[in-house]
Amino acid sequence: MAVKIVTDSLSDITSDIAQGLGITVVPLTVSFGKESFLDRVTMTTDEFYHKLTHDPNWPRTTQPPPGDFIDVYNKLAEETDEILVITLSSKLSGTYESALNARSLVEKECRIEVIDSLTVAMGLGLIVIAAAKVAQTGANLDELVDLVRRAMPRSHLVAYFDTLKYLAKGGRIGKAQGLLGAMLSIKPILTVKDGEMSPLTRLRSRTAGMDYLYNFVAGFPHIEGLAVEHATTPDDADRLVERLSSVFSKERIYRSTISPVVGTYAGPDAMAVSILEAEGK
Amino acid sequence: MLLTMRSGIEEAYRAPDRSASAVAQAMASGALMGARGNSGVILSQIWRGLAQGLAEKESFTGSDLADALLQASMMAYKGLSNPVEGTILTVVREAASAAQAQASSGSNDLISVMEAVVSAANESVANTPTLLPVLRECGVVDAGGQGLYTLLEGALRYLRGEVEQMQFRKPQMIVSNIPLAARTPQMLAAEEVPYGYCTEFLLKGEKLDPGKLRARLEKKGQSLIVVGDESTVRVHIHTLDPGNIIHYAASLGTMHQVSIRNMDEQHQDFLQMQRERMPATDMAIIAVVSGDGLADILGSLGVAATVPGGQTMNPSTKDLLQAVESVASDKVIILPNNKNIVLTAEQVQSLTAKSIEVVPTETIPQGIAALLAFDYEADLETNAQLMNKAKSAVKSIEITRAIRSTQLGGLKIKKKQAIGFLDGELVAVGDNTTDVLIEALARLDLGEAEVITIYYGADTELAEVEQVSFSLREQHSQLQVEVVRGGQPHYNYIVSVE
Repeated sequence: MAVKIVTDSLSDITSDIAQGLGITVVPLTVSFGKESFLDRVTMTTDEFYHKLTHDPNWPRTTQPPPGDFIDVYNKLAEETDEILVITLSSKLSGTYESALNARSLVEKECRIEVIDSLTVAMGLGLIVIAAAKVAQTGANLDELVDLVRRAMPRSHLVAYFDTLKYLAKGGRIGKAQGLLGAMLSIKPILTVKDGEMSPLTRLRSRTAGMDYLYNFVAGFPHIEGLAVEHATTPDDADRLVERLSSVFSKERIYRSTISPVVGTYAGPDAMAVSILEAEGK
Repeated sequence: MLLTMRSGIEEAYRAPDRSASAVAQAMASGALMGARGNSGVILSQIWRGLAQGLAEKESFTGSDLADALLQASMMAYKGLSNPVEGTILTVVREAASAAQAQASSGSNDLISVMEAVVSAANESVANTPTLLPVLRECGVVDAGGQGLYTLLEGALRYLRGEVEQMQFRKPQMIVSNIPLAARTPQMLAAEEVPYGYCTEFLLKGEKLDPGKLRARLEKKGQSLIVVGDESTVRVHIHTLDPGNIIHYAASLGTMHQVSIRNMDEQHQDFLQMQRERMPATDMAIIAVVSGDGLADILGSLGVAATVPGGQTMNPSTKDLLQAVESVASDKVIILPNNKNIVLTAEQVQSLTAKSIEVVPTETIPQGIAALLAFDYEADLETNAQLMNKAKSAVKSIEITRAIRSTQLGGLKIKKKQAIGFLDGELVAVGDNTTDVLIEALARLDLGEAEVITIYYGADTELAEVEQVSFSLREQHSQLQVEVVRGGQPHYNYIVSVE
């Protein structure tokens, strides 16, 4: 019985990818005022960004309740006796806790491992995809846990924010706090470090931001997986993918959209690239 | 403040009866007995004023409360020889006046008045950094004001019957309402006199005269607070010679709860805490700059300390060295931001044990470009390289007025004429600074540019700048044009083109 792979919607794994690789995606909840939506289920990311820029309410994201994970575990336990759950960074959401707590309440005999990826978005997505691919070849749970742990330090996420406005509104997110209060309009480049959003550098223009993303990718000699994500600007993402095709096969570049937890701070017009560095060397 | 309040509440439970007057009186005397620290003593004054306002009242209405708060506010000011705005004092005063306004309006029940009080206190706390520079520089609101707000908010919630929720709720921390230019406190430390000892005690005796005591102690230290009545007086002072004060007080009565703390030690602890909280690494950046606007901008982008200087007022090596020594980091990057200061900056390394890198920026735009390129993850050397590279990616235009008639680069200049430099080269002369700016900009291929930032000087009108930025945007739609007040002397415009 193949190991089943579970992740949360902040992995930014699209339903196409999820279906193709047999990945179960548990959605987080996004609320605007009294309205609540299931991320990527009852609300698309397009709708999210529309509301982010138009709704007077500030969005709140809530981790899936343990019950959601219990349902998923019970259902998957019908088909397998080993489940691997990879969640977004426990420093950005309580999803990891939910997934962990749900383990003890599964009815059937089933081994479940939960891993805190310490990253988010496609930084997480690429790890999940790598695990799912190997799971399909019949690897057991221990092998997959080992694979994920080794992949984590090789996963790199870099995000370009077009504005600090949303970062400021959303309050603190780790060390990125240090970017606030800038009196010039700046475009921050952030990464995820030790599970938290952390500033890398600051630029003055969008063009410089796109150059930064390109150069970041081009700086890696051996790339196993690559993903490009946008918030509201698919055309810019197209152009970036086109440019990146000189360093990595265009067909193998995953495309997705930045989903709510990061999007709440990044705002519209943000972009992100994630790399899974090849092992060895 | 917590200890002061706790002492007040303990005493309130021991009130002889349950009348408003007796409870308030007991709370005030408990607070006075237990008062600690600056804000604690002021808080005890506030409760004392409140108790006076509620004297002989069995119960009270919203209007009574408003009157009592007014008394509380006045009493708080009275205890201090030198009241400072932007502290708990401002908060209590503004809260009291909001209570007055609410009480004289239609709905003057207790809850409405308290609601007005809490909301005014909230705004007032958020505003404290605007009033008190030291708060602004540290990027915090006044702690005493925040404390008072928390107490008032607690009272309101009690009135609303929200006792349950209060137990599980963290107090709401108010954040400042102005954008904070985070500056490290190390530079402040260098500017300030030593704190000495925080000396506090309760003096008990007969026929004590707080007014006389205050007058006597006034010259002996800072932050003096003397409050109380003829039998009990609470004294708080920051002094270099606590012995002197104790000696004098002991001659007047018996002393209780004597506390003498070394504030320099406390300050060191505070600095240590700040250091741990700081986002960026073990590196600090120091920049030479003139103009308050530019200094704030640099501060907001992470410069740890600025040294005043620029055209006609170059800082000395010693000035730079002082700034280097004042920051907590052992690795320091210096941005001279002027051709004539680069050499001076390079001398600093020979005078300090710290590691210094000078990124030879010759203009403010170069300095800012270098600063933005700072990489939070990289080491000193790599950062110096990154910043060096970034500084050359920007074009600088500076517009000033000639100080004498001369001939330069084939251009004839009359005294006081406007002159424009592009990366240090004279490129335009004219009578009007704005025209010269436009001429200098015309030297560049703006079709290729992305961002133009105009820092306008202390003597430049915003309207003129807006004119320039408007026409730039008209002509080049791809341009992001930003206008920022630099406040620099001599230079009407400093412009960066990226």
